[in-house]
Amino acid sequence: MRSTSLLTYNLSLAMQSFKRAPSLYFLIILTLSIGVGVLCANLALVNSMASDPIPEKSDKLIHISMNTWPGERPPDEPMHILRYRDAMKIAESDIPKRSAVFYATGVYARDSESTSMKRFDSDVRATTPGFFELTNAPFAYGAAFEKSSGMEVVIGDELNQKIFAGKNSVGKTLELDGELLTVVGVLKPWILRPLFYHPTEGRAFNLTDDIFVPLETAIDLNWSIHARSSSADSYSGVKDTRDKNAYYLQAWVELEDTKQRSAIQAYLDNYSQQLKDAGEHPLATRNVLHNVNEWLTAKKVVDQKVLAFTIASVLFLSVCIFNASSLLLSRFHAAKFEVGLRRAIGASNKHMLIQGLTESALLGVFTGAVSLVLSWLFLKLSVQFLPRLENIAVLEPSLLVLGMALSLLTAIASALYPLYRANRYTISAELK
Amino acid sequence: MNIKALLKSLLLRKFTTGLLILQLAITLGLLVNSVILAMDTNKKLAQNTGLDADNTLIVSLHPTSGDYRDLDYYRSVVSQDMQALKQLPAVESASLMNQLPINKRGMLGNVYDLDDPESVNRDKYLQDVKIFLNNEELSTTLGFELLEGRFLTKDDQLDFGTGENGNVIITESLKKALYGDESALGQETNNGRIVGVVKDIMLNPTIPEDKQYGMFGNRVMEYIFTGRYYLLKVLPGQIDKVRNQVSDTILGVQAERDIYRVFTMAEHLQRFYRHDKGLADLFLLLCGLMLFVTAISSYAYSQFHISRQKKYIGIRRALGARKKDILLYVLTENWLVYTIGCVLGSVFALGFNILLSQYISLSKPDMMLFLIASMVIFVAGTIATWIPAQKTSNIPPVIATRTV
Repeated sequence: MRSTSLLTYNLSLAMQSFKRAPSLYFLIILTLSIGVGVLCANLALVNSMASDPIPEKSDKLIHISMNTWPGERPPDEPMHILRYRDAMKIAESDIPKRSAVFYATGVYARDSESTSMKRFDSDVRATTPGFFELTNAPFAYGAAFEKSSGMEVVIGDELNQKIFAGKNSVGKTLELDGELLTVVGVLKPWILRPLFYHPTEGRAFNLTDDIFVPLETAIDLNWSIHARSSSADSYSGVKDTRDKNAYYLQAWVELEDTKQRSAIQAYLDNYSQQLKDAGEHPLATRNVLHNVNEWLTAKKVVDQKVLAFTIASVLFLSVCIFNASSLLLSRFHAAKFEVGLRRAIGASNKHMLIQGLTESALLGVFTGAVSLVLSWLFLKLSVQFLPRLENIAVLEPSLLVLGMALSLLTAIASALYPLYRANRYTISAELK
Repeated sequence: MNIKALLKSLLLRKFTTGLLILQLAITLGLLVNSVILAMDTNKKLAQNTGLDADNTLIVSLHPTSGDYRDLDYYRSVVSQDMQALKQLPAVESASLMNQLPINKRGMLGNVYDLDDPESVNRDKYLQDVKIFLNNEELSTTLGFELLEGRFLTKDDQLDFGTGENGNVIITESLKKALYGDESALGQETNNGRIVGVVKDIMLNPTIPEDKQYGMFGNRVMEYIFTGRYYLLKVLPGQIDKVRNQVSDTILGVQAERDIYRVFTMAEHLQRFYRHDKGLADLFLLLCGLMLFVTAISSYAYSQFHISRQKKYIGIRRALGARKKDILLYVLTENWLVYTIGCVLGSVFALGFNILLSQYISLSKPDMMLFLIASMVIFVAGTIATWIPAQKTSNIPPVIATRTV
């Protein structure tokens, strides 16, 4: 009971102190909260970029890079894009639990029964059916297609909203670049930050695809490649690539457990060696496996510009703390008489310290409240300046907690030296 | 003025002085680097592209209907587009191509003389030469400057489906890489026979200026589905008028097209550097805030100091110091702090420069910048201390008698 009343007493003293020098405390709160706000906004961006998009199995999902380039001038590193027959070799293996082989393409889509001729520009993933379970794609209606061929599609929530107003569209027919395909599944809103299954070519913060179509169907329909491709042979279109040295497919496998990694490595190395023995490529066997987080790190998805700016914001925050500290020092100095008086009538050093800490903690709470608003503002502002980051500018609850904690910490840190000084004022000197 | 005495008096308040010096140094360090970043970005934006950036209009578009899978239909629509666009008043020339200059990625290929395939191993940039598919009008539209031979003509367009390479023109730096100072005319490369050499234009700003390797062939009608960009050369001053007409003109020919954007070459360059510019602006914004905070600190510092020194200043006044002596005393004291701050700040600036270079590309700081940034700090600091200093000089000598 006594401690609560002491706390209320301390709080009321702190409020009085704030009221006595409102402009000074306003400046302290303003500078500290700008500092915390800027840093928090940056940390929010870094946090989104560096997060694990599929924590439940990120160490069991493996991306495969190979070097099977047949020509004399091989790329320096194993390529993350594979040719059709290499990718199929991976898909047919029964070592992993499941696999996904895909490429990115795009079409214009409309409801074939609609009277409107408006077509929507849609990002398309042409993939083997294992993709959906491998990526934990959430279905709202229907299910995945079961084969790599057939005129069937799964569509994302956003496209379903645009074309079918968000209703269950399973069984409807879409016209995609003049072809009719039936919807067999509709996904729920699906956010992956970063887009781990395709972080290359600057796509790490793109939205998930609008349409998913069986791989062989897309190849047969000659839907063009929208991401990186590289070819040692000339070919007239995607439909022509199955037996060519055209590299454009990406492959992921899901392992039962991480120990299987060496088994899949051996399987790939064995395959490369067979090719080499047959004289199909002159290169040393180098097949590289990356799990989700390794792959995101290797592809440097965390924007280096934001990291640079984060360093600058840390410096800025330290300047803000120094500033608050010198402001508090002058404030405590001005309140010297009051401190001396209270000491003289029996307040112990410890009491004075607790009183001072209460005041700075309260200051921290105010700063926290202002800084949360400012973080949000700065986040919006950062996106204005760096529009590429639009899809990742979100303030997660953990960031809000961090912002609050930072505010408290900085407020108390700023007050430490001034408090130490204040406690050394001698009673007699102040009461003269 | 006795500097020693001033230093001694500063040492009496190590903590506050230390804080202010640190603050000044960090502010200066960041200010210098932000200005470097902003200057780097402006330099990039102002570089010579070799293009008439303000009078070139670009349309990026894509057909939306399945009919366009019939390439002959596709070609006929594009030909009509070109006709219609050329008829717009103020349009001097219209062309189409598969990729734009000033771009990092795109369609790349290796290029070597058939007699010297090894050259690709000597110069790695020869492995990533930009391969442009365009029509014969591109030279006029982009205003190419001919150095050797001739531009592409209608006759350079081959029959479709032959698989042959045909005639090409190349950029000057590619010619130098392949043939040095000798003539390139008539030479056979793995991608076609060279009939002309044009002056360099900015193809990829992220690689050196003398590595702007590009090759142009009259092949876009054959691979019509790659013709995603229409380019228009517009009479000076008419760009906005034309900009408003192009979409309607194109959709008037055939409506089933998605026109992504209509933009000038100058806007294209800006867009390429938009994130560099954004970062530079963010840094400058932060610097502004930092200067503001540091100014508050300088003010608080002098204010605090004065309130503690009232007595001594009173004594000095009583001993005959004039008002302006006191003013000078306070200001000199602050200037001393700023000087130390700026010296330390130069060290910090170098340190931050190295630190930031780990993440972004940044030029090295030069002496001039230090001086200018120090000036800014001095001026901002002096303004911030002026009022407290003025107040101090108004302390009457009688104060000396009040306290013991």
